[in-house]
Amino acid sequence: MFRHTTLRYATLALLLAGALFQALTAGYFGLEILTEILILAMLVLALDIVAGFGGMVSLCHGALMGVGAYAFTILSTSAGIAPPIAMGGAVALSGAIAWIIGAICSRSHGIYFIMATLAFGQMAYSYVFEAPIFGGDDGLSGIRRLDLSLIGLNLNDSRTFALFCLVLLGAVYGAAVLILRSGLGRSFSGVMHNEQRMRALGLTVWRVKADVFGLSGMIAGLAGTLAAQHIMYISPGLLTWTVSGEALVVVILGGLGTLVGPLVGAAAFVVLKHEISGITPYWHLAVGLILIGVVMSRSNGIFGWIEKRWGARLDRRLADATRSQDQKEVTTDA
Amino acid sequence: MLKTRELDKKFGAVHVTRQVSLKLERGERRVILGPNGAGKTTLFNQLVGELTPDSGSVHLAGEDVTSLTVAQRARRGLSRSYQKNTLFDGLTVEENLGLAAAVHTGHATRLWGDSLARPEVREIVQEVAEQVNLMPFIHAKVSEISYGVRRQLEVGVALATRPLVLLMDEPTSGVGPEMSKAFHDLLNNLPRDLTMLIIEHDMDLAFDVADTITVLNYGEVVFDGAPNEARGSSLLREIYLGSWEDA
Ligand SMILES: Nc1ncnc2c1ncn2[C@@H]1O[C@H](COP(=O)(O)OP(=O)(O)OP(=O)(O)O)[C@@H](O)[C@H]1O
Ligand SMILES: [Mg+2]
Repeated sequence: MFRHTTLRYATLALLLAGALFQALTAGYFGLEILTEILILAMLVLALDIVAGFGGMVSLCHGALMGVGAYAFTILSTSAGIAPPIAMGGAVALSGAIAWIIGAICSRSHGIYFIMATLAFGQMAYSYVFEAPIFGGDDGLSGIRRLDLSLIGLNLNDSRTFALFCLVLLGAVYGAAVLILRSGLGRSFSGVMHNEQRMRALGLTVWRVKADVFGLSGMIAGLAGTLAAQHIMYISPGLLTWTVSGEALVVVILGGLGTLVGPLVGAAAFVVLKHEISGITPYWHLAVGLILIGVVMSRSNGIFGWIEKRWGARLDRRLADATRSQDQKEVTTDA
Repeated sequence: MLKTRELDKKFGAVHVTRQVSLKLERGERRVILGPNGAGKTTLFNQLVGELTPDSGSVHLAGEDVTSLTVAQRARRGLSRSYQKNTLFDGLTVEENLGLAAAVHTGHATRLWGDSLARPEVREIVQEVAEQVNLMPFIHAKVSEISYGVRRQLEVGVALATRPLVLLMDEPTSGVGPEMSKAFHDLLNNLPRDLTMLIIEHDMDLAFDVADTITVLNYGEVVFDGAPNEARGSSLLREIYLGSWEDA
């Protein structure tokens, strides 16, 4: 079950400070990287909710993000619907599709679940690739960003758009915490710990899985609408299974089932990618080596490693501090 | 309250349940005795729906529940504990009980609010923790409590759904005689209107709680009656040779 610890709060504060600093000071290229991180972070949050807290290791989250991107694009361009409503519609559609996938796959576990979600992702990919309205291999362009001039914001400005993504990511993080702490989220964790027992207690397990998978799909879809607005061009490549695979790598790299870890993972992954690809075209090798290192270290990703080393110590030190403060109060009382 | 009619189940050539007909009145406490492999757990699995019988039916509070799922039967008031601990490892005692209580109170599927913080849920957790002596361990994780306490929690989780009928599969298996005795005292203090079906290995302990006794042997009911009749039965003596002599 999800818990905030001192270390998690501290890490969140650091990440937020870093993102704000970057958003306010960086040039065009830095802002592009920041936005890429924020959108990836949203996708991996969605994936961590289902994989880290319910054991539903999905290989279709990239496709769900693609559904969000394509739905937003078609609704806001050819269908001529106002972009905010198009965003809402795209999020709802991704959620509905995810709910159906979740319901159908809820009886499968482990490798079978992974394969089933992969199959759904590939179906979405080939449909988008083949169907004429999606523009095939050429993709779709002419995407406009949300018009927020009413509140004095111009999202066509990279800095404003990055800040916009940051605000949405913050909201999504808050929503993720609320979901995991709700009755639904608690039962979802219960199912991961012991599905048979939850069923014996009277829980309709498939329904809980489908509901949380649907919520997670909505978040992935929202990330898709942002990705479309960021690049202002989309292609079927968004839905390829490697996008899902990469998201999974980021979640594992960061720390499965910690919410904060995947955020760290997203930042580390994108920065590494850009830093190393500047030096050598074999940047995937470097990421691979790091992933192997993390897995071999037997800790739960980068953040899990940090938590293991410093989390307990930090909480203990704080506990000591409050205790000595209590003692002081006692002595002054006496 | 709980009734079966001619339940029958075969695993391949092994006939594990033979035409089992049982009847429990409301508030009845019935103990099932029988040697290893007699088919006691298999019978439980059919009662709660984890296994489908080849033929026969299960009735709960007057309703035929044979075709209902495990969860549907549980929501109608049928709850069980397992012979092998089936807990939420990694969670605390409080969370284990809370997850069960949340299902019962309908908070387990809500998106708004923390189910474990609901007053109704907390009340049940508190009450069950007192009923099965878990208060001292309420904030401990499952991995931090002893095996004996885990056995208590196993029953506590089943109790936290506030069942009409509670099935317990060898609740004191593997714990020492003293702790078993104490546990049976706890069972005796549970509300009188709770119907209980208890699989038990130890005869002495069985007599502590039983209103009625059923003996299974090779999947068949070979005895159904009051405890004092069971004591005198020569058939039981045969089946239970070792432990019976001591009793
Ligand atoms: N899923 C299964 N497939 C095949 N045979 C099974 C299965 N489950 C149980 N059996 C067999 O059915 C018989 C009854 O098993 P069961 O577990 O119900 O006995 P039991 O009375 O609970 O015994 P114990 O006192 O050891 O718990 C045993 O011979 C067992 O090997
Ligand atoms: Mg058994």
